[in-house]
Order: sequence, then structure tokens, then C-alpha cells
Amino acid sequence: MEKRRGAVRRHPAGLTGALAAALALVALAAAACELPDGRRLDTPRLALSYRTVPERIVAGELFEVFFAFCPKGGFKPAGELKVDATMPEHRHGMNYRPTVAPAGTGFRSEGWMFHMPGRWEIVFEVDGERLADSVSIE
Amino acid sequence: MSKLAAGLLALLLAFPVFSQEFSKEELRAILRHGPWPAPWSPDPSNRVSGNPAAIALGERLFFDPRLSPSGKVLCATCHAPFRGWQDARPRAFGLLEADRNTPSVLNVRYARWFGWDGAGDSLWGQSIRPILEPREMGGSIAATAALVRGDPGLACRVERVFGAVPAEDDAVVVALAKALAAFQETLVTGRTPFDDFRDALARGDREAMKAYPEAAQRGLRIFVGKGNCSACHAGAAFSNGEFHDTGVPFFVAGGGVDPGRHGGIKKLLASEFSLLGRFNEDRGGASALKTRHVSLEHRNFGEFKVPSLRNVALTAPYMHNGSLATLGEVVRHYSELSIDRLHADGEKLLLKPLRLSEGESADLVAFLETLTEKSSVLPPPRPPDEACAK
Repeated sequence: MEKRRGAVRRHPAGLTGALAAALALVALAAAACELPDGRRLDTPRLALSYRTVPERIVAGELFEVFFAFCPKGGFKPAGELKVDATMPEHRHGMNYRPTVAPAGTGFRSEGWMFHMPGRWEIVFEVDGERLADSVSIE
Repeated sequence: MSKLAAGLLALLLAFPVFSQEFSKEELRAILRHGPWPAPWSPDPSNRVSGNPAAIALGERLFFDPRLSPSGKVLCATCHAPFRGWQDARPRAFGLLEADRNTPSVLNVRYARWFGWDGAGDSLWGQSIRPILEPREMGGSIAATAALVRGDPGLACRVERVFGAVPAEDDAVVVALAKALAAFQETLVTGRTPFDDFRDALARGDREAMKAYPEAAQRGLRIFVGKGNCSACHAGAAFSNGEFHDTGVPFFVAGGGVDPGRHGGIKKLLASEFSLLGRFNEDRGGASALKTRHVSLEHRNFGEFKVPSLRNVALTAPYMHNGSLATLGEVVRHYSELSIDRLHADGEKLLLKPLRLSEGESADLVAFLETLTEKSSVLPPPRPPDEACAK
């Protein structure tokens, strides 16, 4: 079972083993932006909310991530969307590579699995803008 | 004896002290290794999973030497029931010696990946591999299909389970493999002294806890604590079902190296019998998600599957190449681990030499020995098998 810390971190390094999904983000950014309920992450240029399905992440079981984001401060993302997760203390990522597809006003990402207990970092990167959330899996 | 000492002795006799008081964190970690048996549901990729007639057919096939054209090797040659469903050899020996140790098929129904390299993503897909492997049973798709078509009794049983003998040879082999899988899914280890202790802890039954040896309790504390063993040997089956490099050499006899998981993923994605192929009967498609998303990484080279530890005392020798003869040697391996042998940075952070004392090593072995079943689980009753010729 996971415990979450609402930490938002920015890292200069790119995502390891991340899947790039080239998406037309401009249209999304231009629309009136309201984030659905979920874990909220913020940077000066971006707000993002996400939820996992199932809500409780269990070590060794696949789960999905639904997320949406809103640009802020004139940020106009037009490039890549990446998602990934790592165990910072172990310096390794997942054994699985999630995919991302548009879903409603946001995105659905499937193929996530945290195969070990411990602290994981869920990472979203929107056109280079990085948001991360720390999740502890028992 | 002083009155005080006599009083203490009386207290101890009346309320024997439970010596290992576990912290809340340790308790949570211990409870995650149960309950046992763990829940299970039939394999959606195999429509005869859990089907009694398929189980009966699978059992026949498991002990049928004709699956090898040599007539000399059967599944049970390596997966011998009286040896914990493995062969007690360092490396498997069918027609010839292979490169890896034979894993037990007990509890295989709980696995996500199959084989030391995870080249199989279903139990039925994995069941095809040894039939075709030249060093194991040395068969072929055509020879296996011909066996069914040429044996009225066997063909009758396949018809009873699947409705008809499939027209295509590879579909015949898949049908046999699905029956073999249905049988192997019934092979589950029984409850262990650890399970009784774990459940007693869960309900706070100190009287029941006392039956669990103190050395095993101390070993359990190492297992979930300083040993960090449960990071990979996780859950009720004592395996996270994934792959790690544990510093065991991966050179094979005659030269060359065993690529482990790296080669396993490549084989999996090239196989017509994977869950991405046409033989997957899971119309919802959820069973294939793991295969669709599995990621081939350089670090997978030399990684091998984390084995379940249930019945571990009955399944020597150990590690993917059977290079360690006893549980004591396995504990010594992790106690004196050479991190220079680990090729992935992550493993170097996860695995460190435990530097256990002699007593701690003995305690850890004592704990591992309590993961052995007290008595075997009997397979479910088979339906009468009179409709088809013997």
C-alpha cells in the first residue's frame, strides 16, 4: 500500500526509460483549463493533477494513471509528453514502459508497475517542464 | 533460590516470554507474507484453466514420455513430485544437460513470468518450451501434433476438453500446453510453520506464537530488517515475480554467457506463443498488458527471476545455475557478496554484503526452513476417465 508525499521537484536530468508521446498539446493548452480531482502538482509554469486506478498502488500489480494539466504564466507546451517512475534510492526505474493516450480532457497512461516496496517517484514531463510526486509503497 | 528468583521463574513458566517483540514496521512487513494459500483465479488466457477434465488430461501428459520423441524424457523427469517437483540437480538434464537449475512447479500458478529469464508470459506458453528444447525433450510441433492424431485415446481426451482436435499443428500443441498448465495450476504448497506464526501475529495470539522456534523468529527479523530480503522475496509467495542481478556468475559450460532476462524478453517478444499472439483466449486483453509494456533494458543482462522461497528447504541446489548446494551457502553468498560482480548501479545500492555473524546466519537458515510445508496439498479430485480408450 502506498503513502504519498506531495513533493514537487525539478531535476535537470531527463527521464530515464521514459516513453515520449508526441501530442498536440497546443490545442489542449488553449482550451479553458480546469483540473479534475486528484493529486495536485505545481510549478510556476504548469499545474497537473493525477489519480491512479486502482487508487491504492500495490507492489507487483499493474495500474493506470489518469492525469491532466494546465499551463500557467504564458507557458505554451507544444512538444513532448513523457511519463515515468523511478526509485531514486535504488537508481532504477520500472521494468515496464507506460503508454499515454488522450482521454477526455486529459490523458490515460497504462502499463505502470512498481515491482518493489520503497519510495518511488512518479514523473511527468510536459515539453521539458518536470513535475514529480513521491509515493511510498509497502 | 531467593523469593524474587522463584517468583520470576514462576512468572516465566506461567507466561512464557515471547522473546522477539517486533516493531510495528516489522509486524507490517511480516504480515505482508501472507495469508497462505493466497487467493487465485483461473488464467483468462486459457479457457480450460480450472477445468477438471483439462486438469486430468494435463496430469496424464505431465507423466507421458511420448511428448519427447526419444520416449525417455517426461515433464516429471525434471519436475519430479517426490523431489519437490524439481530434480535436485544443479542443472536440468533431459536429453542433455542444460544451463540452468530446474525450478519447482509448485505455486507456479501465482507467477507473472515463467522460467529463470521470464521468456514465458503464461504457464501454457512456458509449457511448450521444454517440449521443443533440444536438450530437454527434443520434440517438435509436428511430432507432438502427430502424437495426438495417432493416438485415439489421447485425441478423444483432447476432444472432450477442447471440443475437437485443432486442425493446425501448432494449435494442437497449444491445446496440450493449456491442459498441462491447468494441471500445474493445482500444485500448491501447504501451510508452513511460518504461516501459523504469521497468522497468530495477525490475531495477537501469543499462545500460538510460542510454537514458532526462537531462532526462526530471529531469522525472520533479519529477513524483513537488516537483510532486506523481503524487498525482492516479497509477498505471500516470497517473490516479487521480477528479475535481479544477485552477483551469481552467468558464464555457462563450454563458454559464453547466459543473458538472463535480457535474452528472455527478446525470446518472449519473438514467440508466437506469447500473450500478444493469437492463442491468447483473454478477450478483454488485460492478461497481455504486462507483455505489451515490458521494457527491454541493458540492465536486464544477467538478471534472473526472484524464486519463491516456499518449500525452499526441499529444492536444493540453489540460484539460476544451481551453484549453491545448501541454504547455508546461499546465506553466505549474500553475507559476503562481492558488489564488484553486480553490473547494475541499482543493484549495488540494493544489495550490500550483510556481514552476518555465524549465529545470525544460522538464524536466517532456521527461518528459511520454516517456509517448508507441514504437509502437501492434495490435488483436486479428477473426474471419471472412462469415456476414452486408455
